[in-house]
Amino acid sequence: MAIRAATDVGGTFTDLVFYSVDEKTGACGAIHSAKVDTTPPNFETGVMRCLAKGGAAPADLGFFAHGATVVINAITERKGARVALITTQGFRDVLEIARGNRPDLFNFNFRKPAPLVERQLRVELRERCNYKGEIEIPVELDALPAILDRFRAEGVESVAICFLHAYLNPANEARTAAEVRRLWPEVSTVASHELSREWREYERASTTVLSAYVHPIAKRYIEALEQRLVEGGMRPPPYMMLSNGGIATVATAKANPVAMVESGPASGIFAAAHLGTLVGSTNLIVLDIGGTTAKCALIERGEVRITTEYFVERTRRTPGYPIQTPVSEIVEIGNGGGSIAWVDAGGKLHVGPQSAGALPGPVAYGRGGTEPTTTDANLLLGRIDPKSFAGGEIEPAWDALTRAFETLGKKLGVAAIEAARGVVRIANANMTNALRLVSTNKGYDPRDFALLAFGGGGPMHAVSLAEELKVPRVIVPVNSAVFSAWGMLLTDLRRDYLRTRLLPLALTSAAGIQGLFAEMQSEAVENFVRDGMAVTSERVQWEYLVDMRYQGQEHTVKVPLPLEPAADIGAAMERFHAAHEKRYTYRLPNAIQIVNFHLVARIAVPKPELPKKIPRGTGLAAAVMGTRRVDFDAHGVHDATVYDGVALDPGVSFEGPAIVQEPSVTLVVTPGQRVTVDDYGNYHVHLRQRPEAET
Amino acid sequence: MSTTDPYTIEIIRSSLEAIGDEMFSALQRTSMSPIIYETLDFSVGVTDASGDLITQGNGTTVFLAMIDSLVRDILAKFGSKGEIHPGDVFMSNDPYEGGGTHLSDFGLVSPVFHQNELVAFVVNKAHWVDVGGKNPGSFSTNATEIFQEGIQVPSVKIIARGAVNEQILEIIAANIRLPKDSMGDFWAGVAANRVGERRIVELFAKYGRDAVLEAKEQLLSYGETMIQKDLAALPKGVFTAEDWIDDDGITSAPLRVQVKVTITDDEFVADFTGSAPQAQGPINNSRTGLVSAVRMIFKALTNPHIPANAGCFRMVKVVCPDSTVFTAKRPAPVSTYWETQMYAVDLIWKALAPHVPQRLTAGHQLSVCAVILAGTHADTKEFALLVCPLVGGWGAGINQDVESGQFSAADGETYNIPVEITEARYGVLVEQYAFHNEAGGAGEYRGGRGVVMDYRVRTDDFVLTGSFGRFKYPPWSMNGGQTGSPNMLQVLRTDGTTETYGKIAGLPLRKGDVVRMITAHGGGVGDPKKRPIERIREDLHNGFITPAQVQSDYGLSL
Repeated sequence: MAIRAATDVGGTFTDLVFYSVDEKTGACGAIHSAKVDTTPPNFETGVMRCLAKGGAAPADLGFFAHGATVVINAITERKGARVALITTQGFRDVLEIARGNRPDLFNFNFRKPAPLVERQLRVELRERCNYKGEIEIPVELDALPAILDRFRAEGVESVAICFLHAYLNPANEARTAAEVRRLWPEVSTVASHELSREWREYERASTTVLSAYVHPIAKRYIEALEQRLVEGGMRPPPYMMLSNGGIATVATAKANPVAMVESGPASGIFAAAHLGTLVGSTNLIVLDIGGTTAKCALIERGEVRITTEYFVERTRRTPGYPIQTPVSEIVEIGNGGGSIAWVDAGGKLHVGPQSAGALPGPVAYGRGGTEPTTTDANLLLGRIDPKSFAGGEIEPAWDALTRAFETLGKKLGVAAIEAARGVVRIANANMTNALRLVSTNKGYDPRDFALLAFGGGGPMHAVSLAEELKVPRVIVPVNSAVFSAWGMLLTDLRRDYLRTRLLPLALTSAAGIQGLFAEMQSEAVENFVRDGMAVTSERVQWEYLVDMRYQGQEHTVKVPLPLEPAADIGAAMERFHAAHEKRYTYRLPNAIQIVNFHLVARIAVPKPELPKKIPRGTGLAAAVMGTRRVDFDAHGVHDATVYDGVALDPGVSFEGPAIVQEPSVTLVVTPGQRVTVDDYGNYHVHLRQRPEAET
Repeated sequence: MSTTDPYTIEIIRSSLEAIGDEMFSALQRTSMSPIIYETLDFSVGVTDASGDLITQGNGTTVFLAMIDSLVRDILAKFGSKGEIHPGDVFMSNDPYEGGGTHLSDFGLVSPVFHQNELVAFVVNKAHWVDVGGKNPGSFSTNATEIFQEGIQVPSVKIIARGAVNEQILEIIAANIRLPKDSMGDFWAGVAANRVGERRIVELFAKYGRDAVLEAKEQLLSYGETMIQKDLAALPKGVFTAEDWIDDDGITSAPLRVQVKVTITDDEFVADFTGSAPQAQGPINNSRTGLVSAVRMIFKALTNPHIPANAGCFRMVKVVCPDSTVFTAKRPAPVSTYWETQMYAVDLIWKALAPHVPQRLTAGHQLSVCAVILAGTHADTKEFALLVCPLVGGWGAGINQDVESGQFSAADGETYNIPVEITEARYGVLVEQYAFHNEAGGAGEYRGGRGVVMDYRVRTDDFVLTGSFGRFKYPPWSMNGGQTGSPNMLQVLRTDGTTETYGKIAGLPLRKGDVVRMITAHGGGVGDPKKRPIERIREDLHNGFITPAQVQSDYGLSL
């Protein structure tokens, strides 16, 4: 028996999901999971504990995938390495000038994020490549030894290199990186072309600097984890989860650690895509509601969108730091179960983005919290079972809860219960807006999608949100609580390659398009081979995408470009016009230009079959735990039937008002909506669209 | 259920506000002009049927009065005659009436109907890269009448009940230098309005007329309530400032401008009486531009963060006689209006900075420092038209150093054009983009650093236009700090000579000439002698100041 396991290190918990495979028959066993506290700063300790707790011995591991927040934490806590930057002569200040923008428009006392490399550690070399990719001045490396001496004296731990137009021709950058590595092998060295082959020098420099910033920490962490696993007897190499929803070898992850920056959310979204395909819903709006945030994404025809326009710490007030690395397209808002409700000076009710966190937590925890949260409102309205509140470990602090909503109600001039309704309604409105950003705002009609909701709060709000958005169906996965870790067992080895190259989309470009993709393919195969995989081009699944625009525009639209057997320019043109029209309501007779070539290289990994739920045959009535008064806000107060989710057999069907209770999930079903349970135990809520007047 | 409970109203309010964001993103992502999609020199908004501003999405700060006044213009011209119908789109670039800026900014206004009742307008106004006139890029520093500044489109119906008036579009296309790009921008603007229109129609259908209108009223009074509280926190009294504008681009005489701000419990009055008369050159600003300027600084002073609507500005009053440099009349040239508009902002800023230190710093570069380079791309041989603003230094704060290399307060969510894109798209060579260390801005708290950027042209037919205000009068300081350094534009000829300008229009360049753009350091705050030695040492180490400046400005030798 070999065990296939995935661990996900989150901010609070470290999760493990695993199953065993019979090596002879290939049959998969049941899926198990375990959860322990995360153990900063030595995260590997928690991982090993979790394996031990779950009973998955490292020696039995046949496959191990791992996701960690170590990269994003190092950045947000500013605990990265001391970085120096080498640039083209005349451009060392690009990193500090950034893009010069001020998102907080009317703030005339604005602060932009401080550069992660101070000016005296940003040095220039004489070199130049022009915009056509021709080297005009070969890099002059004579000055390098003295520069490195100064870096040593300044305690530099990591060197980033970013030259103009290196995305087109990296020769000067590569020579410089090689020379730094020769002269100073111990220092972490990262060159921009190793991370990004897209244009925009500030974004590329920022990516390179951030990668250099986390490089030593990520390397130390991955090596420590590897060592502990090997000491435990694990034989195959581990894989690391990346932000593009794929896994990669440790060598790849160590060379470009910043590619792991959003690995956690990515695996949940890819898990959603996989589950959707399994149950026949390939068009999904995905919602993950956690303690402090809600994350939304859109999946069309089973495909998750990947973007390289990603920022750390970007808000409406600050530009944040860009990272040009493939990341699944997510909208995240500060609205989770722990988000605090408050009233501003103008008498307006807000929910979030401040969160009560784990301490003091919601008021009902009785740990001293006085500001009501969304979870508190759900409890007061009867949506959460008081007996199983916080896993049944806590008796809700009713007095404090009532007081908190009375106080809030006073500020709004309403009764406590009315204030609680308001909190849920505002939280739902915030989430609806976020869901619109990924759907209607991009030209998608929610009626063509199902809403797949997971995370602690997902199933609690999903049906109301679906009613609001007119989504016809809600899906709540059976393993909602460990969905992200489960997703890692479903991912393939995946690398995304992007290159900026301006080419007209025309028949005359067909050979050039074919040639560039072929070049990128051989690079991809080379990288797989260097990572120790004996692959040929035939074993890799390729996907060819291009970012295009009407000549003269700046922003692009991504569409697939059929390449086999030959580049189908006509088909790509029509796809672009259609995509542009869908997104922006019009098309133009203008010429089309390709800006980026995007190649996806994927090597399939065997995946577990989701086990089917075994029927008990005891009937629906046996699953009824009782009834509870539940406030469904606009739909009124009803006696809702409470079902024990574990006892619900596949194929059963019932209607709301109802609550489905599982150990870590509460599904709230508004009156009149019908629920079915599929073969795997997932819940499907089929929405009856109400006439406008009723909602 | 009742449709008028406070939360439903609240949700409609936030949906109304979200419409501005959505229209904004639609226009940005489809535009053909870098001045729109990078500089975000455009604005979108929604007004009610009477023209009161409900929500506005901005890329820059200068448009705060432009959306509502444009709608009032359309109402006056077409509404009174019953000529506003579903499917109509109106177009205008008139600077004097509703517009308030210059001919380069084209406004598009679409009425929104619910059950045959006019309920709202959706509007956008965006800078087209060229609208004709005597100079490529259309704005100049030496026009003497508006006829030299491009085609004038004074509020016309460009789409009537869904049918496009192709003839007007043809006339416009024939009068501008990059018709293909600008027609793309026209359709991007129409599409942005459609997005807003669709959302409003959905809101009315979902919640009903009465609930939406009630939510709108509450939105406006919310804006008013919030701002009133912030107004109460401002110091009361009379505050004055005066300053000098370099010149009007025609003569070299400086223009004196002044303000008297009176703040009471319920009013904020800005009186510009006594400022210089309307000028001969294109630095003139119109009255709508002046109202925008006052709203902008008022917003910064009171509450920079809540979304702007008509309610936020009910306590603002602007006083100024007609025909001043702030309130010019037809046919005065206005194509670089923002230089003067920003003086209106800066006067109030200067009058109040010492009293509201948490909101305002010392003087910054102020000028947008806009350049136009037009000529033949060395490789593609196509006509290249580069229009871009520059970042500069912001003024020091009371108790703090500030930012270097940021866009002027006139800009906002404005992005510099990446060097790699500039070189590819325009065929010029960018030779440096860096902080400079000209003299200026020293203080106990140091002004932010300005930048220097060099473009080398690679063909013989490029012409240069640039407007760099605060060339003669650098950014002001506070409490004994040093004034900032000036903005300036230089041309380094291949024969070794250097020419220096504050304003220049249509200057011919030859292959190999370098255009050097230098933006101001912001003003300093406090006596430089009081600056802690470790901060001076740090500045020296980082090359923000020179050893000579350590001696001359701070009286030390390190």
